[in-house]
Amino acid sequence: MSELGTLSLLFALVLAVYSGVGSALGARKGLLELTTSARYATYLIPLPLGIAVLALVGAFVSRDFQIEYVAKNSSLAMAKGYAWVAFYAGNEGSILFLTVVLSIVAAIAIALAPRLSRASLAYTTAVLMSVLAFFLFILVLLANPFETSAVAPADGRGMNPLLTHPGMFIHPPMLMTGLITVTVPFAFAMGALLAGRTGDDWVDTGRTWALISWGILGTGLLLGGWWAYTILGWGGFWAWDPVENAGLMPWLVLTAFIHSIMVQKRRGMFRVWNIALINVAFTSALLGMFINRGGPTPSVHSFAQSILGWVFLAFMAVTALFSFGLMVHRMPALKNSQSLESKLSRETAFLVNNVLFLAMAFVIIWGQLFPILSDMVTGVSITVGEPFYNRVNGPLLLAVIFLMGIGPMVPWRHASLAQLRKALLLPIIVALGLDVTLLALGVTKVFPLMAFGLCAMVGTGILREWTRGTRARHRKGESYPLAFGKLVAANRPRYGGYVVHLAVVMMALAIIGTYFFDTQRDVVLQPGEQVTVGGYQITYIDAQQIQHPDHLQSVATIVVERDGKSLGTYSPWQDFYPSFSLRPARAAIRSTPIEDLYIIPNDFFQDGSVGFRILINPLVMWMWIAGPVLVLGTVIALWPQRKRALIREAIPQVLRPTYAPAVE
Amino acid sequence: MGVKPMLHLRPVPIRARGLLLILFAVSLVAYSCAADTPTPEERAQSLDRLLMCPVCPAETIDQSQADLAVQMRSLVREKLQSGESEEEILDFFVDRYGKSVLSQPPSTGFNLVVWVVPPIALVGGLALVWLAARQLGQKRQPHSQKETPEGRPDLEPYLKQIDEEFLAFERARNGPERGGEPGLQGGKG
Repeated sequence: MSELGTLSLLFALVLAVYSGVGSALGARKGLLELTTSARYATYLIPLPLGIAVLALVGAFVSRDFQIEYVAKNSSLAMAKGYAWVAFYAGNEGSILFLTVVLSIVAAIAIALAPRLSRASLAYTTAVLMSVLAFFLFILVLLANPFETSAVAPADGRGMNPLLTHPGMFIHPPMLMTGLITVTVPFAFAMGALLAGRTGDDWVDTGRTWALISWGILGTGLLLGGWWAYTILGWGGFWAWDPVENAGLMPWLVLTAFIHSIMVQKRRGMFRVWNIALINVAFTSALLGMFINRGGPTPSVHSFAQSILGWVFLAFMAVTALFSFGLMVHRMPALKNSQSLESKLSRETAFLVNNVLFLAMAFVIIWGQLFPILSDMVTGVSITVGEPFYNRVNGPLLLAVIFLMGIGPMVPWRHASLAQLRKALLLPIIVALGLDVTLLALGVTKVFPLMAFGLCAMVGTGILREWTRGTRARHRKGESYPLAFGKLVAANRPRYGGYVVHLAVVMMALAIIGTYFFDTQRDVVLQPGEQVTVGGYQITYIDAQQIQHPDHLQSVATIVVERDGKSLGTYSPWQDFYPSFSLRPARAAIRSTPIEDLYIIPNDFFQDGSVGFRILINPLVMWMWIAGPVLVLGTVIALWPQRKRALIREAIPQVLRPTYAPAVE
Repeated sequence: MGVKPMLHLRPVPIRARGLLLILFAVSLVAYSCAADTPTPEERAQSLDRLLMCPVCPAETIDQSQADLAVQMRSLVREKLQSGESEEEILDFFVDRYGKSVLSQPPSTGFNLVVWVVPPIALVGGLALVWLAARQLGQKRQPHSQKETPEGRPDLEPYLKQIDEEFLAFERARNGPERGGEPGLQGGKG
């Protein structure tokens, strides 16, 4: 098994190096046979890497503890289904995962590259293969998952028990796939620059792949939140942990990119800026992978410290130097084809959006790096934790929601204040109406009132756009559902974007709800004892202990009632893994759209009493509803336009009338 | 613009609306400032969130279930009950475990920098956007100016030639009947 795996990795490395060098050389010297052959080589690479994956997963299933990685990350007690999770549970395996995914998306991106980006495809291929070769070098030289030990241990150390959760089957793969897929839009941008195609040829492909990466990464982050919420046992879904931050940072930069790329797509502007953004996105994705692999700050779930982190850092520095150097080199040719007509326009709204998202990303990297800086200057180590991020990024989030309410209402090119007033009147009235209602209901905190108001403003704005457009089509004789469908289909980036905006509003609701209105009680209950928290009567019945081969499971049985009505029996549990001295827990969660009742048993005492933490988390369910909505919106925005629409897109911008959606 | 009835009807309601809005905002702020005194448990919990668990990586004592965190939580409650202020309690833990026990940097001395830099960066970024918008607006060009997609009119004949040769090559490779690979349908016929 291990020989097969190592050989496959070597074979993939040879192919990647051949393809990278062949593409670059062929493009440079005009050897078309060579570039074509190099392209076909990229289609082959997923094959040996797929074999390597099968070999590793197979080694986990067959419990081949001769392989060090298998011994480190699994044990006889592990259920065989978790072989898939164990595959990427450690450093070496996760790098193999990143590599396989990169080889697959690279092959797909190259094979499906549209005609416009063909001229620079050889250079794009060279960039993709350089990154892939870097990962393969690391796998072969520094982090070979197929390394064997002289004597096979009788049993492995076992997988980190925090990973034995169904979310682990998809959360890490999504996160890693999202992070590594950023390479594709980056490679198309770099390829265009290398080939001297400094126009907008790369924009459509770049946008598509950036959106794919953004959607996958976003889903991965949400799944991570869900995992933390159900297993870590403190009742929250986001703790600004370095590893979470590592995924969020590139996501924020990509968010800026997928907005500002629309300006280049429609108006041929911001050419340098978009290149810079995709460079930053890729660099921060690499930084994210670096932090995951023994970065500078401690974290609950970072992999072991190793030299690998520093290799990543060096690669990151080289990439940043290369990409920004190339950008500066091509700067003279990257002129905007049109000028900004007014400061009050969609273009400027997108610029402000970029500043806000980059500021949030900056706050994260700043918070990560400041402890090191402070240590160097003052010699005293300090912590930059949750309160810092919440206090600094909270207001920024508010500003983002505000902009989300206004930006889509501002027409391209130039807007008048009268147009804006007309478009915003109804949303503002609804927002104020909601705030009055909330005040009457006793909500008195300023920040949440502002935030809820702004959410209402965004929601109303979007719904009004939909109803207006649908009605206008209905008047022309289409039935309502058909009219709505055609409305969305006619401008997918726009209406897909609206759906994503709704998802963001939902997430904001969950964040505000849990941050400002949560109730938390720690209680110790004797069997049969009852406690009332937030209108729920919680009775602790009894506890049981179950001895598993590798861990002790303590299960508490509780009954929940409200207003005399039973809401059911729940069995939250806590595990204890002696070999890891870890206590992952599984909370009892009763979810409604209004609030979650969240009960987690923390302490099982000798006398049968149990220490519970009971939380009421308002609106948290909207966080999980936002996930599918986000995916739906992304898919709509991604769905290819029909030919006719594409041709319309190709008509020179100057011939098209000013687009002013908010005004009839 | 000069439609008479509009001019006649609109101004009053809009002004009234604006007035209402201001009144509403003021009363909102006043009302919310007056309310809310935290219960002892709420005070204790917000302190828990300001203290890191010294033995666990990146968890506050509110989140962690380590023995030390549990002890620190009960210590926080004891001290609050005996009338100590928030500052005194935080200072006590800083004396014991060092400054890194605080989950956010104190806003004194060098650590003030961590709080000051993000707002400065934001204002700087917005100022840059403003400057960029002004600059972009100034070099307005007449729309009639012809631009190639690449923005380099002088290169256009060469780029065209490259595209044609590229297509011809693909066609020769794949044979005329297949018409090329996906995305190359342009070469057909």
